Order: sequence, then structure tokens, then C-alpha cells
Amino acid sequence: MGKIKSAICLTLFTLLIAALCFICTVSFSYGTNNVHTFNSILRLTAKDADLGAPYGSGGYLGGGYSAVYYPEGVISEQEYADNLAGYPDDEKGNADKADYVAKYVAYGNLYLEKETVCGGSDKSEPSEEFKAQFDDTLKILEARYASLKKDGVRLEVRDGFTVGVFLPKDLMTNELYAFACNAYTGDVTVRFGTAADSADTILPARTNKTINDYIKKASSRTAADGTVYVVIEFTKEGREVIAEKTAEASSGSTLYFMIGENSVIPLSVSEKIDQDTLYISGSYSAESAKICTEAINTSLKANGQDLLELTVGEATVHKALYGNNALYGLYIAYGVCFLAMAVFFFVRYGRLAFAHLYTYLIFLFCMILCVWSIPFLYISTETFLALMLASLFLCVGNVLVFERARTFYSQNKAITVCVKNAYKESLWTLIDMHVIFAALAFITFGIGLTNLSAFAFVFGLGVAFSAIGTIGLTRFLWAIMMPFTKDKGRFCHFKRNRIQVEEGEDDD
Amino acid sequence: MTKKLLPVWIAISSAIIIAGIVLFALLGFNLSGERPDYKTIEVKYDVVTEISENGEKSLDDTVRAAIKAQKLEIVRFESVKEADSNSGSETGNTVLVYTFSDSVSDDALAAAKSAVVSAIGNAQSQGTLPGTSEIFVSAHVSEGKAFYEAIWRGALGLAVGAIVVLVYVGVRFGIAAALTGFTTCAHDVLVTLALFAITRIPVYAFAPLLFAAVAAVVSLLLWLVQCVKMRENFKTKPFDGLTAEEAVAQSVKTSRKYVLGIAIALAAVLVVCGGVATAGVRLFLLPALVPVAAATYSSMLFGPALHVYVKAAFDKLKAKRKLRYVGKAKAEKAKED
Repeated sequence: MGKIKSAICLTLFTLLIAALCFICTVSFSYGTNNVHTFNSILRLTAKDADLGAPYGSGGYLGGGYSAVYYPEGVISEQEYADNLAGYPDDEKGNADKADYVAKYVAYGNLYLEKETVCGGSDKSEPSEEFKAQFDDTLKILEARYASLKKDGVRLEVRDGFTVGVFLPKDLMTNELYAFACNAYTGDVTVRFGTAADSADTILPARTNKTINDYIKKASSRTAADGTVYVVIEFTKEGREVIAEKTAEASSGSTLYFMIGENSVIPLSVSEKIDQDTLYISGSYSAESAKICTEAINTSLKANGQDLLELTVGEATVHKALYGNNALYGLYIAYGVCFLAMAVFFFVRYGRLAFAHLYTYLIFLFCMILCVWSIPFLYISTETFLALMLASLFLCVGNVLVFERARTFYSQNKAITVCVKNAYKESLWTLIDMHVIFAALAFITFGIGLTNLSAFAFVFGLGVAFSAIGTIGLTRFLWAIMMPFTKDKGRFCHFKRNRIQVEEGEDDD
Repeated sequence: MTKKLLPVWIAISSAIIIAGIVLFALLGFNLSGERPDYKTIEVKYDVVTEISENGEKSLDDTVRAAIKAQKLEIVRFESVKEADSNSGSETGNTVLVYTFSDSVSDDALAAAKSAVVSAIGNAQSQGTLPGTSEIFVSAHVSEGKAFYEAIWRGALGLAVGAIVVLVYVGVRFGIAAALTGFTTCAHDVLVTLALFAITRIPVYAFAPLLFAAVAAVVSLLLWLVQCVKMRENFKTKPFDGLTAEEAVAQSVKTSRKYVLGIAIALAAVLVVCGGVATAGVRLFLLPALVPVAAATYSSMLFGPALHVYVKAAFDKLKAKRKLRYVGKAKAEKAKED
């Protein structure tokens, strides 16, 4: 390639890298009193709950919400103390207080209502029946939270009979809805009327049938225009009952899909509904629709089980698990590795290192843009590790080619022949290397869940970009950078083996 | 030498894996990094009414002193804000959460709680803390629950991925290389998990599976380097006429610097990142040296020793069936050239 064309290409690449660097990493405020903020792609990218990075005024990344579920008949020490303190200090108040004290028994760090939990006012240990009910209720909660498939979701049993849940703030948008909706336990019913409490139960329509005879399942769908639907599939019998009951619908009529005594979907009905599948839109996001349908499906599966009613207790806002500045720590660690890589390439390959660095920077910014734009990806230690592994791939690929070219050059071949032969000899090795690991990564992504899936996808993506970078981009950059130097060997820090110089071979 | 040492490598690996299985069955992994099971003392106060920012510091000091007097070690401290579970808006209450290891007994926890309550009472009566502020102390025992679907699906994904990759290796480098690669990959995954079980290195709950993935990836990468070098070397003249053992041993010598180079580069990245990052991230990155070490060991020692037998068996099989012996044919062709 001629010098002019090379200069134009090189300028364009430099400008592209500068622009990508600016967009991806630089954030600043501007305007009167800095009211406007330009956010870099890195800042806009979702992060998991474990990495903290305070930025802006009051803004905080990382962490999440936790909440505690209290089954019926179980209260915290504080609630017990607060309730006791609420009784007036008079004769009636003291009598009520004594009744209240007699009603509860301390159990570890909780207070249990004797009648509900222990099976009698004379008992002080939780009954076997209550324990079995708690286990069944816990299984439902586990199924619901596992179905979120979000990195960072944690569930734990606290003090024997309460359930603590943690949800990541930055990776979710409906944490509070999840807390509330997942607390709904009991049988699924469908009511029709003007208010959930007073509406008539229309499904199950007969006492000898269950709700599963009328409703197959619930699912969520996102339409091409972005509208999210909760989809309820009825059996033939369910469709007939709904059609019959909604035939006389008037304004104000509502179909209530209930779990226990809680309305999960209130659907306004103005005309007869006669269809197998009901698409219900509203203010659902994909996440909230999934939470809602999972609550319905798990309740359909558990139909007939005697589950405990749950109350959502206090919620707390947590900071990042790995520390408040963990993300900045990762950025610094990355910077140190980048510097080490640059030093190695400059020392070993001279100005040829620029070809590698240009390729690497384009690879890096492509990775950042992908992690930002692909909805299920986010910044975490796992994805960082995947990026580092993929970076190593790119470096190994380029080193392999550069070393082959060095060997050919030492055999007194012309530099263009060296480059050509080096790429020719390394091509299948590079293809094998990249195909193998891209396949491994994408298969693991396809089957795995949450953090392993994110790790695998980012690694696979990195390997794919590394293949393009090593096989195509570095070679092109090498070609456009070399015309500016007369001593090609010196440009690459390659040396001839002068003893074996053959006439006509050394044409540089 | 390579061939003779195989029983030694098998013995070492078997000892590690068996010890790991036994310890895993007895104790499991040391998941204290993520505290799946833990105990806490929570001190809750209403920030709006009485306690200022300095007040929180006094309260924290008081609680820490009381806990220290009970000889309990705080493994983690967090100051969290209470929020309304419906709206998400902060209520103004703050909770100081002191976390202890699961090994702390219930009696010790109860004693610590009583000590904290009395220390706060004393501080309020002495005026160190505002006497009118409502401070509530509670103790909790938590038992973490794992989402098993993510674990079995992750393991399945890795297994399927590794098998597909080894089929590709079989096509490109021969079935012998694929079989050895499969064995070393499985070996590295097992040795990595066993080492975590034996050494009790504290890790996050999700980490063992991810480290198994890293072991599989690094193992395949390093074995691939060996395969590439073997394919290149076996075509050259000096390898013509060598036995399987000699050929593999010679090839391993030429590939040693590449395998070590990649392993050292990986280890350096992990050490640098682990050194610079915060303690939480370090807990994730530094244990990742274990799968790198396991994969390096197998690709340099165990894998080549095993491959001698596998290659010899396949070579014999090929010769017996009078199939085309590619290595020899290519060597002959090279000789003719």
C-alpha cells in the first residue's frame, strides 16, 4: 500500500480509536451549574450487585435490596416489643398486655403465636404441621427467586422460620414488585365483579374440580412493538366458563386473577371474553411480567398444598459486597495489565507494537460496546475475567504470528514474504484456537445460567473479536504502518542472521 | 522418562481427587467468602430523631467494644439503610449489621447480644449516646440456600462444550489427541475442585463452578498448544522413525516454553488484578491461580505421559489395520523433498 493511502487509513483508525475511547470512558458535566451530564458507555453499562463505584451526586452503583418474609404467626423481636409498648399503662391495658404475652412464645430470635404455630395455647414449640408448611412455602419462594435467573439473587432462612431475600439493584428494575408478588401464596382463583374482596369466584367453577382443570399455565411475551403481555392459557372448560360469566360484562366489571387473597392481575372487562389464550397488557416490563407469571405458575403447581401466608417485613438497602470502590480497583488492575502488555510488545517488537495496540484498543472498545448494548450482559468480576482471558488470546495470537515472522526474517527473507508466510503458517493454528474456544464458550452460554452464562458469552464474544483482530486487523495495520520506515527490520525489532545471507534475499 | 512417570502422576492426581471428594463430602467447600451460613447482631436506630453522624460512630464503637469483650470476631460490618418495602423510599432508620462466622455458638451470640444491649444502656445513661434515642438490638442466624438449577446447568454446559471441542480436536489433530485432551480436561476440573475442598480456600458460593470452567478452558488451551506443536513436529525429519515416547518427549521439550509462557502470563494477570483490586475481588481472582496451576501441571506432565500410551495404542491400531499412517507418510514425503 502506498504511503498516502496508508497515511489516510492510519489517520482514520487513530480518529476512530480516539472517538471510541472518548465515548466509552469519558464522563463529564456541563451547562449552567453542571445540570447536564455526559455519561460514558462504561458508566451506563449495567453492573452487578457486588461491584461498588460511587459517582455523581448521591449516585451509587452496586448493592441491592433485601427483605424478610414473616410467615403467619411469626413476628420479630422488635415487633413484639413495639406491640407490648403500645398498650396503655392502665388496668385494661395491663390485662390486654398479659393476654398478648400469653399468646406468644419466644423462639430464638423470633416470637411465635402459640395457636397458629404451635397448635395450641399450652404448647411452646412449633408443630410438625407448621414445619412442613414452612418447608413447602420455602420451596415455592426458592422456585420463584431461582426463576429470576439474575446474578446476585440470594435467599436464606433466618432464625429458623423467616426467609431473607436479596435482589441486585442495578440488574433489576422491579425488585419491590418481586418482594410483594412472590409473597403471595395460596390457591389460584379467578373472580369476577367490581371489587376483589366482594367479587364472585368463577374459577374453579365446581367444588370437585381444581384450578388446573381450567387454567393450563401463564407465560409472558414481548411483542415486536415492545409491549409486554402476560399470557393466560385456558383449557376448553376454562374458556367456556370465562365466556359465560363475562357475557354480561358492564363498565366497571373486572376479572381478578387471585393467589390466595391477593389480586395479581385485575383485568377490566367490557365485553365477552371467549378465547383460549388471554393476552393481558398493562404497565408490565419483561421482568415484572415474568415475576407475575412465575408466581401464578408456582401456585398452580402447588394447588391444594397448605401453604403459609407471608408478610413482607422490613427492607434494607445494601452496598456492594466486594467493597465501595471495587469497580475502580478493577479498572486500575486492568490499567496495570494493559501497561505491562504495551511494555512487553514495545520492548520485543519495537514500533510493530503499534499495530497490536491499535488492534487491541479496537477489540477492547468493541467489547465494551457489546457488553453495554446486549441486554443480558453486565460488568462483573466474571465478565472482567472473561475479558482478560480473551485479551490474552489476542496477545497470544499476535505473538505467534510476530514470532513466526521473526524466524523467517532471521532466515534472510524479505519482510513482505515473512509477513505472508507467518500468516500462512499460523492461519490454521489461529483458526483452531479460536474455533475451539468460541464453541466451548457459546455452548456453555447456551446451557448455563446467570454469572457462568455471562462469563461464557463475554469470553466467546472476545474470542470472536480476537480472531478478527489477529487474522485480519493486525495484518492490515502492519501493512499500513510499515511504508513509513525504510528499515523494516528495525521497525519490528527483527534481526537478520548475517552469516547465512544469500544474494538477492535481503531486499529491504 | 515421560512414559515411566505416568504412574507417579496418576498416583498424585488420584490422591488429590480422592482426598478432595472425602473432604467435600464431610465439609463441602469453604464458602465463607459469601457467607452462605452466618450469624449477625443488628443494631437498629432511628436517625431522624436523635443520632447524628458522629453518634453512629459512638454507637459503632460501643457495640464493637462490647463484642470484643465477648471475644467474638466480626467478619464483616455493614451500615444499611432501612427502606419501605412497597415504595423503596428510605425510612430514616439505619441498621448496623455485625456479621460473625457460622461457627459462633448460639449461646455466645446471645451473650454478645446481651452485652451489646447493656453497653448501649450504659452509654445512654452516661450521656455518650442520646438517652432518648430508640436503639434496638437483635441477633439472627442465617442459613443460605443455593439455586441448584444454575449449578447443574452450568456443569452440563461445560461438559457438552468440552465434548464438542474435543470432537473438533479429534477431527483436526486425531482421536488420540482428543482422548488425551478429554482426560486432562476432566482431570483438571476434578483436581481443581479437589484442591478447593482440601485447602479450604475461602470462595464465593458460585466460584467453584466458575473455577471449574476456568480449569477446563485453560486445560484445553494448553493442550491445544501441545497438539499444535506435536502436529508441526511430527511432520519434520528429526521425528521420523522415533517411537511414540521419544516423539512426544521431544515435542514437549519444544512446546514447554509456550505452555509455561501462557501459564505465567495468565498467573501474572491474576496476581496483578488480585493485588490491585479490593479485598472482595481479590477473594475471587487469587483462587483462580489454582485452576491455572492444575492445568499447567497436567499439560506439561500428566497429559504428555498419558499421550505416549494413547498415541502408541492408536499407532499400533493403525498399523495393524493397514490404514494410511499419516505421520509416517508425511515424513517420507518430506524425506523425498
